[in-house]
Amino acid sequence: MIVTRRETLTGRILLVLLMVLTVLPFVSLFVTALHPSGTYPDGLSWPSSPQWGNFIDAFQAANMERLLLSSALIVLGVVPVSVLFGTMAGFAFGHLRMPGHRIGFLVFVLGLTLPFEGLITPLYYQVRDMGLLNTRWAIILPLIGLFMPFSVLWMRAHFITMPDELSEAARIDGASTWQLFWRVHVPLARPALTSLGILLFLWTWNQFLLAIVLVDDPAKRTMAGALGAFQGQWGTDIPLLCAGSLLILTPTLAIFLIFQRRFVAALLQGSLKG
Amino acid sequence: MTRTTSGRRPAGRSRPLFAMLALSGALAAAACSAPGGDAPATGTSAPAAVKTTCGTEPVTLKGYFETGFPLPKTLADAFTAQFPNVKWDIREDQFAVITQNAPRVLSDDPPDLMRIPQMSELAKDNLLLNLDTYATAYGWDKWPASQLEQMRFGSNGERGAGPLYAMGLNFSMTGVFYNKKLAAQAGMAQPPQTLADFDAVLQKAKDAGITPINQFNGGATGGLAFPLQNLMAAYGETAPINDWIFNKQGATINTPSNLQATQHLEKWIKAGYLAPDINSQDYAMMMSRFIGGKNLFIFSGDWESGNLDKQMAGNAGFLLMPPAQAGGKQAAMSAPLTYGISAKSRNADCAAFFLNWVATDQKARDLGVQVGGSHPMGPTDAYMPAVGKDTVTASTLAAGATIGKDNGAMDFIANATGAIYAKSWTPQLQKLAAGQQTPQGLLTAVQKDYESQVKG
Amino acid sequence: MAGPLAATVEPVTGRERRKRRPRPARLGWLFALPAVVVYLTFVIRPLLLTVQYSFYDWNGIGAATWTGLDNYVRLVTDPELSGTILHAFELILFFSFVPVLLGLAVAATIRQIAQSRLALVARTVLFLPQVIPLVAAGIMWTWLLSTTGLINQLLSGIGLGSLTRAWLGDFGTALPAVGVIGAWVQIGLCTLLLLAGMSKIDNSLYEAARLDGAGPWREFRSITLPGLRQEIGVCVTVTVISALASFDIIYVSTQGGPGNATMVPGLEIYYLAFAEREVGMASALAVALTVLVLLCVLPIQRLTRDGTR
Repeated sequence: MIVTRRETLTGRILLVLLMVLTVLPFVSLFVTALHPSGTYPDGLSWPSSPQWGNFIDAFQAANMERLLLSSALIVLGVVPVSVLFGTMAGFAFGHLRMPGHRIGFLVFVLGLTLPFEGLITPLYYQVRDMGLLNTRWAIILPLIGLFMPFSVLWMRAHFITMPDELSEAARIDGASTWQLFWRVHVPLARPALTSLGILLFLWTWNQFLLAIVLVDDPAKRTMAGALGAFQGQWGTDIPLLCAGSLLILTPTLAIFLIFQRRFVAALLQGSLKG
Repeated sequence: MTRTTSGRRPAGRSRPLFAMLALSGALAAAACSAPGGDAPATGTSAPAAVKTTCGTEPVTLKGYFETGFPLPKTLADAFTAQFPNVKWDIREDQFAVITQNAPRVLSDDPPDLMRIPQMSELAKDNLLLNLDTYATAYGWDKWPASQLEQMRFGSNGERGAGPLYAMGLNFSMTGVFYNKKLAAQAGMAQPPQTLADFDAVLQKAKDAGITPINQFNGGATGGLAFPLQNLMAAYGETAPINDWIFNKQGATINTPSNLQATQHLEKWIKAGYLAPDINSQDYAMMMSRFIGGKNLFIFSGDWESGNLDKQMAGNAGFLLMPPAQAGGKQAAMSAPLTYGISAKSRNADCAAFFLNWVATDQKARDLGVQVGGSHPMGPTDAYMPAVGKDTVTASTLAAGATIGKDNGAMDFIANATGAIYAKSWTPQLQKLAAGQQTPQGLLTAVQKDYESQVKG
Repeated sequence: MAGPLAATVEPVTGRERRKRRPRPARLGWLFALPAVVVYLTFVIRPLLLTVQYSFYDWNGIGAATWTGLDNYVRLVTDPELSGTILHAFELILFFSFVPVLLGLAVAATIRQIAQSRLALVARTVLFLPQVIPLVAAGIMWTWLLSTTGLINQLLSGIGLGSLTRAWLGDFGTALPAVGVIGAWVQIGLCTLLLLAGMSKIDNSLYEAARLDGAGPWREFRSITLPGLRQEIGVCVTVTVISALASFDIIYVSTQGGPGNATMVPGLEIYYLAFAEREVGMASALAVALTVLVLLCVLPIQRLTRDGTR
């Protein structure tokens, strides 16, 4: 390869600059969180005596353990079901290709770009009439529906690459379609399934609009919705708000750092297909 | 084997397609009747029989309070201390958020006790419990009528008379707080007697390098409404302003004296008497800067008295906005700290008992003054806690007496309709502060919004 | 779409057909059924209802009155409402153009070091803004952009103290400031997407260009850019949607203020529907927003998809 040294150097500098720009807000958040509660610190300045206790206060003020539990329950309600339904439909549209599959698929594609704000008003009345307002179901059920276009699209894209010979072989062995699906195709789809799961986890965890509209109690919301409530309640105390925000970010960041390679791959593919 | 090919056969396509079409057609048909047809019948009758106690069974009152103000929570705790069977489940939000949520929360997640923003529409839509039966049972109707009139809403759509839909935890007094040290530096020996005196102090402060006024005006909170309404009362009468706030027929905010007031405020802005970044400050930031000694004046209310007596002991003063002419009548915004009971509350009796307790219990009245800084509700001859002589609390309570004598109490112009503050005053005042709106334009725009909101 | 997969056709014997009792069509739709049901219930039904509501005047509680196109007329004539759509378009500049252009520039510059350890670290770091909730991004930046925040501190530090201001509270800078937050969120994703796309371009093309004496700019124009058509399309699509449908960031940073300087359709819908209870008007705006997103996204997809999929 012919690469000049100057180009590499510019590249490195640019990359580092971009990283600094990305990390700076996090640093500012962290430093501010250490200032005495109730003050308005100046920009980025290390406090004379760091108030590590702010994190404990914020943990208690935000009811962290309840928030974590709530978000986890919502994720558990949304992700497995969405992945299952999406996979089944993706299998149907991508592999079984029954009559009408094109039009059916097209209807799903249509939903891909719908902004949630466009649906939120009727969703509110619908959820209210179902008697689910202020329960976690109010977030879980609509989200499964709202994630369906992407899930179906994603899984169909996978199944369409599966050669038919695979199924034929299984059928000759006498497998029913249901067995074919579970024993042959689902195991093979594991990478696609994991990526879909990761993306749906992230989108559920970070869902804000549905949480603030459909659920009043922060302890029954998603993490992002709870953060909104935390800002509503403690937004007047900047260091505490910063500490709380960091705490609320920590679980996502931790999971991201642990599974970062899958995450990055999933996000990149996710946007490519979406 | 053939499975994959069958999809390509056009003949087999029709049935599922029909099924889909039929299904979405059914959904569409289901959606075709007009929304919201089954609204509850309109009727604003109070409950016929009520209990004036919380009983002895365990009760959990669901509260929805305003964040940043410790009084309601303190009262709730003290109440539980006296009545251990009553527990609380309290949610808090900033006032702007409560305003957004109020109709939704009251109808679909009814709290037993809730901080009520502007109440006309809430009462009209039967979201608030009619408290008349409680008022009779507890004798609230024997209290000075002025305490409760802002919380009455008549069937003619006007506020100020009619059934009672909310109660105050206390009634607050607003005015101008000042930093005594900075006031001395600016040469303010005694409170200004006229508006011109006040302007002179502002100029002197500015010359001395002190920020004369700081006021929150950022986000969803147009705090310039405080000085503006004070100026309105200095230039004109309070009655037409109150009429406008109470949605009386034909009332208008767009009057010559209000124009003068708005022009006066604009003059302050242009002269640099206000901090340059008011459009980005929320209420807490204003308080933090004032307590930190960063500016001379703020416009706020006596709910800060207790706080200022603690954090700026001896260095904070309070004055009422001076009149335009020496010796003229003084006026101020004074409103109850409004709490209401949802029409769907399951513990209405206990919530009402709490409201009565707040006004009548000695401990509660102590807290109302010490923590809340404001005058408690209740009969004129009720117990009053002793207050230190040189405290801000003492001067705000005294100011209340002055306003009472001059009959100068007004509700807030921000309380005229449910949306007027967020949709009209706040954006318009932010524009005025940024020099993007004229005084006349501001009043015209607010009046136009007001008319469409009162009508609709 | 089914592609060449269906090429192998074998005659079906009668026995096989009888053994599979559910007919293939029915079976396929049976598999799709759960997805179809939740989708119809929570997406298609609300979508149709939004359209229906938009023709009514309804406060969400009492009875509704049919008003025909009144809401749409108001949408066009009320500068406050139509202004929200203009704001959304202005945000595209920041949410979309800036990240895509900067991403292209950065990706092109770091292409040669894409395999270095630094680049691997960068992959993780640059993704952070995508992982956190937008609300958190909003909170962080509200603080950075405040009067006493880091941005002003830096400006003062380099002698530009005269430029300092309350960025989110100033009529002139509030919308761009919100845009900067969006740009921050999107730039990492765009850079990495484009970089991934570049790695798929055959390296020999570059070598050949170098041998021809092509400079970096020509190299970029004649090799990189054409090779990235699809990735650029994806970046633009994703970011344009995020700009038009922005809500979270603005909800926490400015609430649409000062004045209405940062009011966008998403937030206005929320206020109209739930605070002012003009459900009909909110729905009309929601319909407009949905159509707008489709109108923007479809041509981009058309332009950048080259029919391979």
